[in-house]
Amino acid sequence: MTALSLTRTLPSGFRLRTSWLVPLLLAGGCIFLIVGGLSSSLFAQQTVSGLANGGIYASLAVALVLIYRATEVINFAQGALATFTTYIAWQLGDWGLSYWPAFVATLGLAFVGGMLVELVVIRPVERRGSVLTIVIASIGLLIAVEGSVGWIWGSQVKFMPSAFPAHVYRVGGVAFSLQDLGTIFVSIAAVIVLALFFRFTKLGLAMRASAVRPEAARLVGVRVSWMLSLGWGLAATLGAVSGMMAAASPSVLLQPSMMDGVLIYAFAAAVLGGLESPAGAVVGGLAIGVLLNLLGTYVGWVTPALLLPVAFVVMLVVLLVKPSGLFGGTRVRRV
Amino acid sequence: MTRRLKVSVAVSVLAVAAVAAVVGVAVAAAAGSATPGLTKTSIKIGGTFPLTGPAQLYGVIPKAENAYFQYVNDHGGVNGRKIKFVYYDDGYNPAQTVPLTKKLVQQDKVFAVYGSLGTAPILATRDYLNKLKVPQVLVATGDSYWATQFKKYPWTTGFQPDYPGESKVYGQFIRNKVPQAKIGVLMQDDAYGQNYYNGLLAGLGDAKAKVVDVEKYDATQTDVSQQVVKLKASGANVFALFATPTQTITALAVATKIGWKPVTFINNVSASPLFMALAQKSGANVQNDITATYVYDTINNPDTATTKLYESILAKYDKGADPNDSLNIYGVASAWTFVNALKQAGPNPTRQGLIDALMSMKKVVNPFLYPGVKMSTSKTDHFLIEQQILEQYKGQAWKPFGHLFGNAR
Amino acid sequence: MTRFVAARATVIAAAALIVALLPFALSDYNRSQGADVAVFYVVILGLNIVTGYTGQISIGHGAFMAIGGYATAILTHDHGWNDLATLPISALAGFGAGIVVGLPALRFRGTYLALATFAVALAVPQIAKNYSGFTGGTEGLALPIHSGLWLYGLGWAAAAIATVAAWLLLRARTGRAFRAVRDSEVAAASSGVSLPVYKTLAFGISAAFAAVAGSIYVLVNNFVNPDVFGLTLSLYVLIGAVVGGLGSLWGTIAGAAFVQLLPIGLTSSHALSSQSVPVIFGAVVIVVMALVPRGAADLLRVGAALAVRRSPTP
Repeated sequence: MTALSLTRTLPSGFRLRTSWLVPLLLAGGCIFLIVGGLSSSLFAQQTVSGLANGGIYASLAVALVLIYRATEVINFAQGALATFTTYIAWQLGDWGLSYWPAFVATLGLAFVGGMLVELVVIRPVERRGSVLTIVIASIGLLIAVEGSVGWIWGSQVKFMPSAFPAHVYRVGGVAFSLQDLGTIFVSIAAVIVLALFFRFTKLGLAMRASAVRPEAARLVGVRVSWMLSLGWGLAATLGAVSGMMAAASPSVLLQPSMMDGVLIYAFAAAVLGGLESPAGAVVGGLAIGVLLNLLGTYVGWVTPALLLPVAFVVMLVVLLVKPSGLFGGTRVRRV
Repeated sequence: MTRRLKVSVAVSVLAVAAVAAVVGVAVAAAAGSATPGLTKTSIKIGGTFPLTGPAQLYGVIPKAENAYFQYVNDHGGVNGRKIKFVYYDDGYNPAQTVPLTKKLVQQDKVFAVYGSLGTAPILATRDYLNKLKVPQVLVATGDSYWATQFKKYPWTTGFQPDYPGESKVYGQFIRNKVPQAKIGVLMQDDAYGQNYYNGLLAGLGDAKAKVVDVEKYDATQTDVSQQVVKLKASGANVFALFATPTQTITALAVATKIGWKPVTFINNVSASPLFMALAQKSGANVQNDITATYVYDTINNPDTATTKLYESILAKYDKGADPNDSLNIYGVASAWTFVNALKQAGPNPTRQGLIDALMSMKKVVNPFLYPGVKMSTSKTDHFLIEQQILEQYKGQAWKPFGHLFGNAR
Repeated sequence: MTRFVAARATVIAAAALIVALLPFALSDYNRSQGADVAVFYVVILGLNIVTGYTGQISIGHGAFMAIGGYATAILTHDHGWNDLATLPISALAGFGAGIVVGLPALRFRGTYLALATFAVALAVPQIAKNYSGFTGGTEGLALPIHSGLWLYGLGWAAAAIATVAAWLLLRARTGRAFRAVRDSEVAAASSGVSLPVYKTLAFGISAAFAAVAGSIYVLVNNFVNPDVFGLTLSLYVLIGAVVGGLGSLWGTIAGAAFVQLLPIGLTSSHALSSQSVPVIFGAVVIVVMALVPRGAADLLRVGAALAVRRSPTP
């Protein structure tokens, strides 16, 4: 239905075969970055710090993708929930817990909190509402959760320690920290763990089934509503990881609005990668991080104010060529 | 048909009657007024501040100001009047500032609008307030307009030293004290950053060519690592930071991370000891960085009467406030200035009297400002504070050095 | 049936009368609040055309408001235009911008379209900031001050004209085509409705409404800068549309009042700590969505049905 009506809207002959396009684009991008990085240390440094920022966008984008796969809703509150859980981690640290116990406890609390949010906020709205009402509820959640962070912890910037040693390495003229590597590593690891979970565990299979064919899943005895809660719990946990990584990096500081900017780029990353693909979200996030840095450094007419619009134009151009994103399939969806 | 007509007539009549009744009540309520916001025992003032949203870090200021007013009230008030300070959250959005300011004037009937924060919010409301001759005093922004455009906007007055005046001091210092300076500038890409940059150039005078690179960032962009990387690559050995606190902390941390060790100047807005501590925790080496200040230094003078008073006011009336956050001492110093002006305006203050009092200060000593800084204004000079002292970060605190730059403009 | 039509006409006439007489009972401040409600009414009406009637979700209507707002501000501030004379230009500019956004939007659907319009909402204020020579940048442009009564009159006059325009449009061929597109694109296309034309047209018309609303918004605040048209505005417009109920006149009024009056009422309430305001507002939005997912219009519909049932038959 989707594909059919789409082809009708286009002049004939406009349909591109895009299956070879994506690998080619990615390979070309990688070669460009490597050659550029080898020939200029400024280029290399900008690429590396772009990748570090991109890792932050990527991890939140994966959380967005998780929710989208489960409920076809873009969760506007994902960033605010991540901020909230990061403050919990900070609070545990402030009460004297050392980093890793606080980290693990936060993940647990985020998981329970995510499920609770689904139970208390999303489920009552979903019962009679449409996708649009859930989106509005998630915007309400964004406003309420970000507000509650300011209410509980105040508006002043706080310091969030890093999970990784602060040591900075220098290779050639390029500096990078373990923090940078760790952020990228964590977002990639999250994708691999998720892929394994969805593919090889019963629970993962049940979650996938509930998202794609809820009625059929119900027939074979899957408790679909619990699977949705579980999806929100997982997404909130990933969001917590993203928030803690972000707040520990020098480019994002722990304050109530800290994920506002990250959320925007995470949206862009998720769309670019194809809203249903965690791997696409990671590639999209890293690509946007690098793109922003290189545009700002080398393209003179891209003033600071225009950086965001230009990045969006690039995103839209990619979408015009491939409307379901780089890694998006042509899966027929329930309508 | 006739029945339907009757129904519609009846509904319309009812509606008109309801509206008329409301009009009557409203007209009756509007009768009678003296100087707005003023009674024998109280004076009501109001302001708008970003208490939520991206700029909410400035939201501590009105709380500190209110703390000082509470303290004054508990010690008898001003000429027997207690100060009632109403402040609203505009989220730094002029579309909120305008209606909320109208509400302060029309519904809350404040005597004056005091301390409202942000250049754009003030620009959005000053036409309205000046038209109605409502004082808009001690606004919390360092643009030069408030002092230079007083002929057109006599009811709007500033407080802190203006941005160009501050960065001019940096420019003069670099020209005289930093040999072979190659200056890299990081500035917010708007009037705020431009003001600072212009002041720097003025201070450098004929040494303008020492600026080797200027990098700008957009206010919505918190990550400035890309700009800092470029500044390092330009070969600069002096780093002039004209940013807001969040970006400043990031810039300092990134500079250290990529191994850049310039002589660093940090604008006053972002140089709160609280932010410096955060930058250090984030990995920045901020030793020997330079800034300028005009408020009282409580950290280096923990045992003076001023520090003790300041800390006791915060402890009693603004629980949870961090005394090391210089936005708090800023708020208390500003509130002190308002109280002082109100006293000068006499036992029966008028709106004009308040403005006159603020614009005829003769070397007034404000205990919450840096010792030696005097507040002076006249009919033609509306710059309230014009003296500043340079400070250098040593260990865990700013240490003042040199002498007060008098009349920096 | 005729009884229903007549009752409806009566109610509309009564409502129009109340709206017309209300300002005389309000303070100047509340009149300008009323004008802001009219602003949200007009833009939500416009959003209804694209989302309620053609089913395309837009999170970007703040951007079209910005287009209109800046058209009015620049023409009055720099070119000495009368502010009323700028409104047709603003509508045209909005229409053009809507077409420009609507064309690529043909390629996107559902969530992708929503996020594409979201990108537009974020990008337009940045572009305005960049060309500060025209727009005044972050320092903005200050405009002449009008009385609350004037603003209220302008706002609701525009609202009345917009309502009639929308009604004429939607009851005619165009409206039927829009609805056909929403209900089934395949069926619409096979019965001869040109999808690209009508989908783009819906965006253009909708944006024209938003632009006029933006112009009035700027006149009410007598100031414009990019922060005025931030993301919050776009989100509030969408919240208003859904909270009110898509496709309903009364719902649109209720939604407009909700997003304008509730936040500012909470913010300026003396009983609440300012930090708690967003928490309360967000919670109210969620509760409304849970209780009346089809918006306030649903409540009104139920109420009206009850009233009709109870009234004695003539």
